[in-house]
Amino acid sequence: MIRDEEQHGSATPEAAGLLCVYSAGADGRIYLSIDQAGVVRAFNGHVDLGTGIRTSLAQIVAEELDVPFSHVEMILGDTRTGPDQGATIASETIQVAAIPLRQASATARAYLIDKAAAHLDAPRDRIILDEGVIRGSEGENWNIPIGDLVAGENIRLEIDPEASVKPVSSYRLVGSSRPRVDIPAKATGKWTYVHDVRIPGMLHGRVVRPPYAGFDHGDHVGNSLIAVDEASVAHIDGLVAVVAIGDFVGVVATREENAAEAARSLKVDWRPAPHQPDLNSPENALRANPATPRKLADRGNVDLALAASPQPMDRTYVWPYQMHASIGPSCAVADYRDGQLTVWSGTQNPFPMRRDLALLLDIPEDLIVVERLEAAGCYGRNCADDVTADAALLSRAVGAPVRVQLTREQEHAWEPKGAAQVMDVRGGLDLEGGPAAYDFQTRYPSNLAPTLPLILTGKVPPVAEVLQMGDRTAIPPYAYGNLRVTVHDMPPIARASWFRGVSAMPNTFAHECYVDELAAAAGVDPIEYRLRYLHDPRAVDLVRAVAERSKWVPHTTHGTLGGEGDLLYGRGFAYAVYVHGKFPGTAAAWAAWVADVAVNKKTGEVAVTKVICGQDSGLMINPDGVRHQIHGNIIQSTSRVLKEKVDFSSTAVTSKEWGGYSLITFPEVPDIDVLMIPRQDEPPLGVGESASVPSAAAIANAVYDATGIRFRELPFTPEKILAGLNGDEPIRTQTASRKRWWRNLGLSVAGSVAALSGLATMASPWRPAIPSIERPGSDVYSAATIERGRLASAAGACNVCHVGNDGTPFAGGRRFDTPFGAVYATNITPDVENGIGGWSYTAFERAMREGVSRDGHHLYPAHPYTSFAGADDADLQALYAYLTTQQPVAQRAPETRLKFPYSFRPMMAGWNAMFHKAEPFKYDASRDSQWNRGAYLVETLGHCSACHTDRNALGAEKRGAAHLSGGFADGWEAPALNAVAKGPVGWTEDAFFDYLRKGHSNQHGSAAGPMADVVKAMQPLPDSDIRAIANYLASLNADAAPDKAEAQREAALAASNAAKTEAARISPRGERIFNGACASCHGDDKILSSLALNSNLHANTPDNLLQALLTGVEAPAILAQTTGREAPEVMSMPSFRQTFDQRQLEDLAAYVRARFAPDKPAWDDFAAAMQRVNAAPH
Amino acid sequence: MVAIPMQINVNGEARSIEADPKTPLLYILRNDLALNGPKYGCGLGECGACAILVDGRAVRSCTIPLSAIGDRQVVTLEGLASGEELHPVQRAFIEEAAAQCGYCLNGMIIATAALVAAKVNAGEADIREALRHHLCRCGTHMEILAAARRAVRYAQSERQAIATPEAEKQA
Repeated sequence: MIRDEEQHGSATPEAAGLLCVYSAGADGRIYLSIDQAGVVRAFNGHVDLGTGIRTSLAQIVAEELDVPFSHVEMILGDTRTGPDQGATIASETIQVAAIPLRQASATARAYLIDKAAAHLDAPRDRIILDEGVIRGSEGENWNIPIGDLVAGENIRLEIDPEASVKPVSSYRLVGSSRPRVDIPAKATGKWTYVHDVRIPGMLHGRVVRPPYAGFDHGDHVGNSLIAVDEASVAHIDGLVAVVAIGDFVGVVATREENAAEAARSLKVDWRPAPHQPDLNSPENALRANPATPRKLADRGNVDLALAASPQPMDRTYVWPYQMHASIGPSCAVADYRDGQLTVWSGTQNPFPMRRDLALLLDIPEDLIVVERLEAAGCYGRNCADDVTADAALLSRAVGAPVRVQLTREQEHAWEPKGAAQVMDVRGGLDLEGGPAAYDFQTRYPSNLAPTLPLILTGKVPPVAEVLQMGDRTAIPPYAYGNLRVTVHDMPPIARASWFRGVSAMPNTFAHECYVDELAAAAGVDPIEYRLRYLHDPRAVDLVRAVAERSKWVPHTTHGTLGGEGDLLYGRGFAYAVYVHGKFPGTAAAWAAWVADVAVNKKTGEVAVTKVICGQDSGLMINPDGVRHQIHGNIIQSTSRVLKEKVDFSSTAVTSKEWGGYSLITFPEVPDIDVLMIPRQDEPPLGVGESASVPSAAAIANAVYDATGIRFRELPFTPEKILAGLNGDEPIRTQTASRKRWWRNLGLSVAGSVAALSGLATMASPWRPAIPSIERPGSDVYSAATIERGRLASAAGACNVCHVGNDGTPFAGGRRFDTPFGAVYATNITPDVENGIGGWSYTAFERAMREGVSRDGHHLYPAHPYTSFAGADDADLQALYAYLTTQQPVAQRAPETRLKFPYSFRPMMAGWNAMFHKAEPFKYDASRDSQWNRGAYLVETLGHCSACHTDRNALGAEKRGAAHLSGGFADGWEAPALNAVAKGPVGWTEDAFFDYLRKGHSNQHGSAAGPMADVVKAMQPLPDSDIRAIANYLASLNADAAPDKAEAQREAALAASNAAKTEAARISPRGERIFNGACASCHGDDKILSSLALNSNLHANTPDNLLQALLTGVEAPAILAQTTGREAPEVMSMPSFRQTFDQRQLEDLAAYVRARFAPDKPAWDDFAAAMQRVNAAPH
Repeated sequence: MVAIPMQINVNGEARSIEADPKTPLLYILRNDLALNGPKYGCGLGECGACAILVDGRAVRSCTIPLSAIGDRQVVTLEGLASGEELHPVQRAFIEEAAAQCGYCLNGMIIATAALVAAKVNAGEADIREALRHHLCRCGTHMEILAAARRAVRYAQSERQAIATPEAEKQA
């Protein structure tokens, strides 16, 4: 395993020369050790979730022990020896979990001083412990490193709760900022996260989750698997196992990419997921969720006061489902051997998780070792425990260590969400403008989210436990005389668990918005109003300090900051103390916000421009660390308030990546001014969450200040703000549909049958077989002939269709879905049995020109003999020579079996009589040789029309104006190659050349889908041939000229730029998906050409867009490698098939259409396009 | 999926690989070459955690098929330093403590390194734009921005240090 020992050393208390401090009792756990080298190892049951507690805890130890900071190494969450301090939650590491550690340090210090005193025979008060060395207080020449006092002995101490700790006034290390100990290794790639653990013999696993994504209770949970088809992945190299236990399904392979491929390809039958209540607008679902009211406070007479209020104000505030959204999907390694388990895990809860693993595997806890390593930051319970249990199950199944990496989609879909919450306030003003009463009710559907594999495998029944977690900061901070606070304890709906700020953040959203509403109704400045009812002196100090720091100008109405242009400015205030733990709970740091916003009244966008945040954290161990936590809380919570909401279908979570669940980006980050109240003489308070808590109310109050409108449901997306400002809903434009040829096919089949039957008698349906021959020898042809054949094959892109499914050239077997049924490309290698090895040239030529196979059966025109018919003899002969000298492949392609009546091949004779003219290509003497060469290649060998020309009901290419005016191929639209083309920029010769040669034209974009394969197949052709093709095709676009094209290009870019706002208005969700998922490559000023130039965005249907999204686009990368084109793009477009659902695709398509083809009508009948694209093979 | 032997150039060394050419480069770097700098974040080219430099440009290794690399120069976080001497961008990030969990740090450093190499006078808007599609969930943005500004200053003074002796020579 590759790991830094210094990162995760472990103490061996039995070794010689060691002082250890344990908790009391025979089964005490180690908290501290000092070895003879003076190295201090300190143990804490909590883990570092990215907050830097590793550094702060080390400061506390070094301070209390008086040793150099660099001598202290923290070991966090070690289940073998370290203390069990429960889960790392509620910002309580410093406030709670550090206390015994400090006491252990004081115990050791006292012992060392006593020992030194005895050793030196000096009074105790003369002994000084300084920087890990014993010295004398009066300049004595003592110089004993503490390691020397330990050497040769094994000393076991128990934590002395009475050991005197240092007074704060003598602190040197605590209270000063120390650089984080982990960052240098992290900045150089040397840190070992759990994702980086490698152990010998380690295999790679992936899991396949059930369709009820993000829901963890109900009878269907653990009972939905019908069957797993192992054969569907049998072909994958290095596949080790497919494991299914209940609804737990996983695969194991030797290489990660193969495990990933197996998980994607594995066919699993599931029962359909049951319908869930609508959680996109969660209010109704939460009100309908069964609940038990629990009264937390009842003072005064609320009902009487409400009845007497001259100005009653009843308000409801709604918080959406949100997610932790760890940047790294969870990962773990497990090694189960001989009934013992070791896991390498990023868990927040090493000890509770060990209990879960013992239950899952039916082994005693003490046979399980949890090695806790850092993972991507989590802000509550993500999938870290789930994936550890996944890895344990897979390792047990294969008897080898297995690393499991969840996918982004799985982490998004399954992580226990931060629950939605509904807060009702009944209240109002009394006659003096004071608060008449405050009747607060809150609903928070969450529990601790049982570890997923326990439920999937049926080890734990899928029953939703009810926990009392909705009460955090449920008591408002203001001295309301008539107060009633009720928490409706309820089970989760979607899978949920604690998330930063837990229920306190939504509860505070309500408390702090409501008090702002009271102030406005009373005509009093909002801060002044709060201070009238806020009696906690530290809170009052904080509020005043923040008001002063922000230069708060008291005001009694909204709108005092005015605006400019489309912008309205506003400023809002909120205050909270985060109360965590079991009610009545423990208060962490106090925090107060002033938020400045700019609201764009035209687009609805809210920009948080500045946040002034004050925090009273008590004693700050590491002030820089505290400041970073405050920054982090401000930015993350601003993101949550402005942008974040989990989307659901009727059965599952659909937000599965960063487009469907957007986070704040760098350009949106506000200026931040942090005010840290100096309270070094007060006990330290948790700082991990506090600064998040006032965020939503401060921003909501600022938006009110700007607009005069109260927004009481998060997030503040542009469409929500716009709807509030305008009182209307975002519009979806609709336009008429245009029909396409093959959609009409159903109607015309009867007619076509009749036509075909009649025609069948007209021509000669039976053709003779041509006798098979000995396979021609490879020395029959000259190298020049074979080379010419190779180029003919390139021009014809033969291998695009005839490639074997495993990539073997010319082996055949590719399936093409036509309106008449599936057609399979044949094996055209010189194998006698399965290919064309027994074909004479006569037979070959007949197949190429007339569409008749050697044995006399008719070929379908999916083989474009209608084009090949015109090819020069010399080309066909050379092609024959080339193909018959290739490697024979003894592999039979599947036989094409069309539906009746098309299965009756002799009918093709009639078809040929109607549609096929077997005649040589006619050169045009009025054109130059380049044009003629291009025309020849396009119209014969290149058979461009086979895809780029529409076909009639009988599957024949239309003629006349329809020729090269666009068609369909392989589920993709093949756009028009002539002036009918839909793109905004005319196709010039240079553009055609670039596109066909390099797969990319900067005036149009990149080749994708089947065309990418064609470009690749044409690579052997000389530039002169590509240039000739370009010349001919450009002649079909008479209007296109270089300067005109450049002007068109600029106009298209300008139009697209101008359409941004409108496109966002038309499809706000689509805009978010585009920005989160697409813009990293397709954004402004990226290396790829703008989508505004891409003909697929301008096409009549979204088929090609959907194809690209669902199958991905590999072409640019392939071409980059081989051609070194001007835009050195090496990235491919990934497939989003398992990422986006139909609604997301539709939203995205609506946005990109409106943004990049603003002059075109919106696409309609999206469902039909989805159906077409899904029906195409993939 | 057919594994074939290939050679790629990573951190200045030719490395032999045997893998399916379609394999995302990220897996090759991490699993075959044991380079932990690039991180798996989304596999969709969205978040930037897997960023690397290819011929000096910051790209996302999760969406690069192995076959696309050819003889281009790949540099990962591990390849930025010259020997014991850290890359100035790494120094800037360490000095500004620009990490909380640090999982996104690889992408932030790589993107900043590409930026300062391409635009020595990068301003605040350039920095924010260069980092726009790099996601950080811990909210380390303030420290990352400070680090990027510091990195720009380092790049400028380095450029001056190089330019000055040359100017002297010319004079």
